[in-house]
Amino acid sequence: MLSGLTTGSIYALVALGIVLVYKATGTINFAHGDQLMIAGFLAYTLHVMLGLPYLVAMLGAVIGSFLLGALAERIGFRAVLRSNLINVVLATLGLSFVLKGVARLTWGGISDYLSFPPLVSPDPIMIGDLILLPQQLVVTAGALVVMGLFALFFRLTTIGRAMQATADNPKAARLVGIRVEHIHMLAFAVGAAVAGAGATLMAPLTLLYPDIGFTLFIKGFAAAVLGGLTSLPGALVGGLAIGIVEALAAGYIHSSFLEVSAFIAIMLTLVLRPRGLMGGPPPRRA
Amino acid sequence: MRQPVLLGLAGALALAVLPLVANPYLLFVGNQLAIFVILAVGLNLLVGYCGQLAFSHAALSGIGAYGTALLKVHLGLPFFLALPCGALLATAVGLAISYPALRLSGLYLSLATLAFAQFTLWVFMNWEAVTFGAGGFRVPAPSYPLIGAGLGTYYLSLALAVLLALAAASLVRSRLGRAMIAVRDGEVAAEALGINLLRTKAMAFGLSAFYAGVAGGLQALMLGYMAPESFDLFHMALMKAMIVVGGLGSIAGSVIGAGAVLFLLEGLRAFKGAQEIAFGSLLIAAVVFAPRGLAGALNRLPRWRESYLRRPARDAAP
Repeated sequence: MLSGLTTGSIYALVALGIVLVYKATGTINFAHGDQLMIAGFLAYTLHVMLGLPYLVAMLGAVIGSFLLGALAERIGFRAVLRSNLINVVLATLGLSFVLKGVARLTWGGISDYLSFPPLVSPDPIMIGDLILLPQQLVVTAGALVVMGLFALFFRLTTIGRAMQATADNPKAARLVGIRVEHIHMLAFAVGAAVAGAGATLMAPLTLLYPDIGFTLFIKGFAAAVLGGLTSLPGALVGGLAIGIVEALAAGYIHSSFLEVSAFIAIMLTLVLRPRGLMGGPPPRRA
Repeated sequence: MRQPVLLGLAGALALAVLPLVANPYLLFVGNQLAIFVILAVGLNLLVGYCGQLAFSHAALSGIGAYGTALLKVHLGLPFFLALPCGALLATAVGLAISYPALRLSGLYLSLATLAFAQFTLWVFMNWEAVTFGAGGFRVPAPSYPLIGAGLGTYYLSLALAVLLALAAASLVRSRLGRAMIAVRDGEVAAEALGINLLRTKAMAFGLSAFYAGVAGGLQALMLGYMAPESFDLFHMALMKAMIVVGGLGSIAGSVIGAGAVLFLLEGLRAFKGAQEIAFGSLLIAAVVFAPRGLAGALNRLPRWRESYLRRPARDAAP
C-alpha cells in the first residue's frame, strides 16, 4: 500500500508530462518514457560517474532533458504537428526508438542494469507495525514538491498562463499575441523537464536500463488516461490510483498482475469512460 | 495502366527462381520479405486506407502465429489446417476488439490498441500452461509433398504474399474499399453518404487482422520457433515504418516499404542500438520529409498510376 503510493507518485509525475504535452498540442508524446530514461542516465553520469552532489545532478538532468525536449520538438515535431495525427504519433514513436538506441550505445556498454546509490540510509523505520523505508518517503515527498512547483508555475507565471490559454483555444491565443509555436516547444521541453525530475527521483529505487522508458511510459500513460488526459489534478489522482491498484493486485492476486493491471486499467477506462475520472473535452488542435 | 501490378509480378517471379541460385540465408531473407509484405499490406488497409491508427497489428500476428503453432503442438493438427485456423483466430480477435475500440476514435483508439497489444504479450508470457511462457517453444517443421520444409514454406509464403497483395489491390477499388477511403477522408461526410461507419471500420479491422494472422502463421512455420518477443512494440514500429516509408494508402508502397525495412534490418542485424536509431530516424525522416512515402515519388513517374493514393485527411477530434 505505502510502496504503492511511492510508485504512484512517480507515475503521477510521468502522467503530468504526458498530460501537459497533450493539453498543449493535442497529441501524445510516445517518446516521453524514453526522455525520462535518458534523463535518468544523465543523472547517473553526473552523480555516479562525475561524483557531483545529488541535487546538482538532478538540476543537470532537468536542464538537460528540457533542452533535449525543445530540440526534439524543433527537429521532429514542428513540421508535422499541423499535419495529421498519424504522422505526429509516428514521429514521436520514431524519436522513442532513437533515444533507446542512443542509450543502448552510450550507456549500455557499462552493464545491462545500472544501479543508482541510495539517497538516505536504507534501514527501515518502524512506527508501530508500520515499516517505512526512508527512501520511499523521500521520493514521495520529492514528487509532491515537483508537482507543487509545477502547479505554481502554471498558475502564477506569464508563460504558464500563456500555455493554459493556448491549450484552451490556440486561435484566440494567437490573436492576443502568444506565439503558439513557442508554446508547443515549451510544452515538450517542460514535459521532458518534469520527466527529468521524475527520473532522478526514481533512479535510486529502481535500476536503470534502456528499456525502462517504455515500462514507465505505459504506467504513466495509464495514470493519465485514468485521470482524464486533459486534467493535471487527474494525473495526480490517476497516478496514485494506479500505483495502489498495482501494489494490491501484486499482493493479493499474483505478482505477475503487477505488470498487467495498468493495461487493464487503460482498456477499461477507455471503454467505460473515455474522458477518465476528471477529464474535460479534448483540446482543439492548432 | 497496371504498371505496379506488372512490376510486382516480375518481382515475385524473380523471387520464385531465387532458390535455384541462393544460399539458405538468402532464402530466409526472401521468405521474410514475403511475410513482411503480407504484414505491411494488411496494416496499410487499416491505417493507410481506413485511417484507423491501431497498435494491435504485431499482437494480432502473434495471435495468428501462436494459434497456428499451438494447434500443431497441442492438438497435432496438420499445418494446412492449423494455418487457416490461426489466421481465423486472429481475425476473430481482431473483430472482437474492434467493437469496443471503434467507439473511440483518433488518439484514443491507438491508446486502447496499445494497451491490448501489451496485454496480449503478457498473456503469451504468463499463460505458461498453454503458451510455454517467455522461453518460447519449438514448432515442428511442416511437411510438403515433393519438396523440403524450407522450400515449401518459401513458396507457400510467396504465393500467399502475391495472392493477398493482389486481393488488397482489387479490394481497395471495390465498394468496401471506397467506403474505407471515404471514412478516412471524412467520417461525417461518409456517414451522410449512407456508409455504415462501424461496419466499415470493423471490416477493415477484421481484414487487417486476417492478414496479420496469415503472416504470423507463416512466420511460425518458417522459424520453427516461437517466442513472445517477436511480437513486441519494436516489431509494431517496424511495420509502421514499412507503411510510412512505402507510403500510406498505397499497396505498391507497402511492398516497397517492406523491402526497404527488411534491407535495413538485415544490414544492421548485429547492432541492436544502431538498429533502433536507424528505424527511429527513418520514421521521423519519412513523416517530416516525405509524408507520402516512396509511393508518392513513384507516382510522379510517367505512366505509373495507382489510384486512391491521396493524402490522408486530417483526422477528426477524438
